[in-house]
Amino acid sequence: MALSLPPALLGGVSLAMASCLALAQSSQVPASQVQPSQVQGPATTQAVPANVPAPSSQPALAEIPALQATAPSPDAPDPSLSPECRVPGSKLYTLAKLKAVKKALREHRAVQVLTIGSNSGGIGTAATYPVRLEDALTRSLPDVEVTVESRGVSGEIAFGAAERLRNQVAEIEPDLVVWQVGGNDALARVDIEEFAQSLAETVAWIKSHGIDVVLVDPQYTASLAKDDYYRQFVQAIQKVAEREQVPLVQRYEAMRYLATRAISALKGDTAQAGAGFRLADLGYRCMAEHVTRAITVSLLQPDIATPAVVAPAH
Amino acid sequence: MREPNAVDFWRGIALITIFINHIPGNVFQNYTYSQYGISDAAELFVFLAGWSIGIATRGRDGVPEPALRTILRLLSRMVEVYRAQLVITAIALAMLAGAALYLDNPLLVEWHNAGPIFSDPIQATVGWVTLLHQLGFFNILPLYVVLLGLAPAFVLLSRVHLGLAVGISVALYAVSLVFEINIPSWPVEGHWFFNPLCWQLLLVLGFAAHEWRRSSERFLVWRRRLMPLGVVIVIVGAVLSWFNLRPDPLAVPEPRLLFIFDKSYLSPARLVHFLGVLLAFQAVFAVVQPRARWLVRQLAGLGRNSLAVFSVGSVASLGAQLIRFWTGGGFATDVFVVGCGLASLSFTAWFVEWRSRSPRPSSAA
Repeated sequence: MALSLPPALLGGVSLAMASCLALAQSSQVPASQVQPSQVQGPATTQAVPANVPAPSSQPALAEIPALQATAPSPDAPDPSLSPECRVPGSKLYTLAKLKAVKKALREHRAVQVLTIGSNSGGIGTAATYPVRLEDALTRSLPDVEVTVESRGVSGEIAFGAAERLRNQVAEIEPDLVVWQVGGNDALARVDIEEFAQSLAETVAWIKSHGIDVVLVDPQYTASLAKDDYYRQFVQAIQKVAEREQVPLVQRYEAMRYLATRAISALKGDTAQAGAGFRLADLGYRCMAEHVTRAITVSLLQPDIATPAVVAPAH
Repeated sequence: MREPNAVDFWRGIALITIFINHIPGNVFQNYTYSQYGISDAAELFVFLAGWSIGIATRGRDGVPEPALRTILRLLSRMVEVYRAQLVITAIALAMLAGAALYLDNPLLVEWHNAGPIFSDPIQATVGWVTLLHQLGFFNILPLYVVLLGLAPAFVLLSRVHLGLAVGISVALYAVSLVFEINIPSWPVEGHWFFNPLCWQLLLVLGFAAHEWRRSSERFLVWRRRLMPLGVVIVIVGAVLSWFNLRPDPLAVPEPRLLFIFDKSYLSPARLVHFLGVLLAFQAVFAVVQPRARWLVRQLAGLGRNSLAVFSVGSVASLGAQLIRFWTGGGFATDVFVVGCGLASLSFTAWFVEWRSRSPRPSSAA
């Protein structure tokens, strides 16, 4: 059937081009200029005392021998993060238990993660965010296999995207969903109540099937710092995370922290031109580390304690 | 310019509905029929495209045109739709980037899946030009490109036996549903928003309905007899969507796509609901036409020029979203952006017909 060719052709042609590009890219990157900030993974983490073996005084660690992490002090910049991404824990996450992942770790079973949202790892970087996340989680959980699948969801949670997300979760059946949530809805200025209700229902649904959820709230950018709607929107996500007892990566707070630091470091004209775009890029470069940190520290949450949310939401 | 007919009228309604629904959060969204059923305007649009193929591939005397002409006709339409998709995607990207620069807001270049095109341009440029990377809400024309690529096969098969064409279409639909086969997206992991392997069924059904209507007395009789069933289906759909009742995709048996409500794969519930809508509303055009001639003329005008109107509508709806974001939204903004959008759709329809009526400037000019 020659006539059914177009889709196959499209697929074939672009797959061929894709593989050429992938080859071209991978051969290019090590040879040409790689900025120190682009090197993620072993280089940066070895420089920092990150993977400290678990001290026996940590009860949660004793339970899960695979976990390579220590609980940081909440108010000082977290030293296990690479220097450009260093944010105090209290500005980076609120914690909650991750029962499904913990169970998988105890059973020494592979952990499957589904990331929802943008897969950008920063402009011009060799690895996408899902690839970086998989690397970072594998380093933090060296005894188990971690696989990360990613899906983009276009559209708004309040209008149909939540439905599609459920179908994607059902398709992949992961142990953990890491969900960058709210960007589309906030830009579309949907009703905050409507959004929050839809989000809460969807999170509750995912949890009801024994799947863990980590939420990542939308990005910070200076031009939205005084936008009341946007701030309320970010707060609504924090409230849902608190009520549904799921960890939240406070990307908004973390990026705001990084922004003030960047401005004090770069005085004058350089701080102005395109600062927002540079910060957004940095946000993506750091996201895999930030998410991994929130996950590993959440895994340290003791099973017995009742209050789930630990770090203050400022 | 043909007189207003039911196909153009309904296509006009589908175009307006799609335009309004592509401005999420606007107040008028609550008054489109998509909010009151399991299926929406996309189904109507694709079904009517199939119906139109039935009309287009026969001469005025009703005799099927030569096979080669049909193939060339459909393929040239495919090229036209592909070209429109590239143009509107390029415009949309420039709008997002322009707004991001003007408002100093890097979040805007991430909107609607546009992120990879700016952060990973080498792969994503290949992706969007080959239709493997689609912007949010800019995903209907890629479906249509593939459907037009498949259409000649079904049209020619139907000339051997219409039942055979429909049978093969149903089989392709069923296999894609059961084995979850869809075209992958690239470079972002995932699949096409509209799975052409499933949605082709609606195109073929639209085509077949046109053929049956021409040739089969029984079809017309049953269409009328089944109207009450259609009304019941529409009511059930309205109740389900009003109370937000739907199957839990992690609780249904395998193959799960048969049981859930899924737009990408046109799951059976959506298909049945849409057929119910068709049955329930089949007589509406005949009732409305003599009573609201101006409205019918306007809607049919949109429907006659659907590709141009759809393209302008896509760009206009993105523009409306950007304005809503910039101003913070609200009732007055919604009235303004939707009003301007509808006016631009109307103008587009008029302009396309004016252009085809006017003598073309010579190429030397």
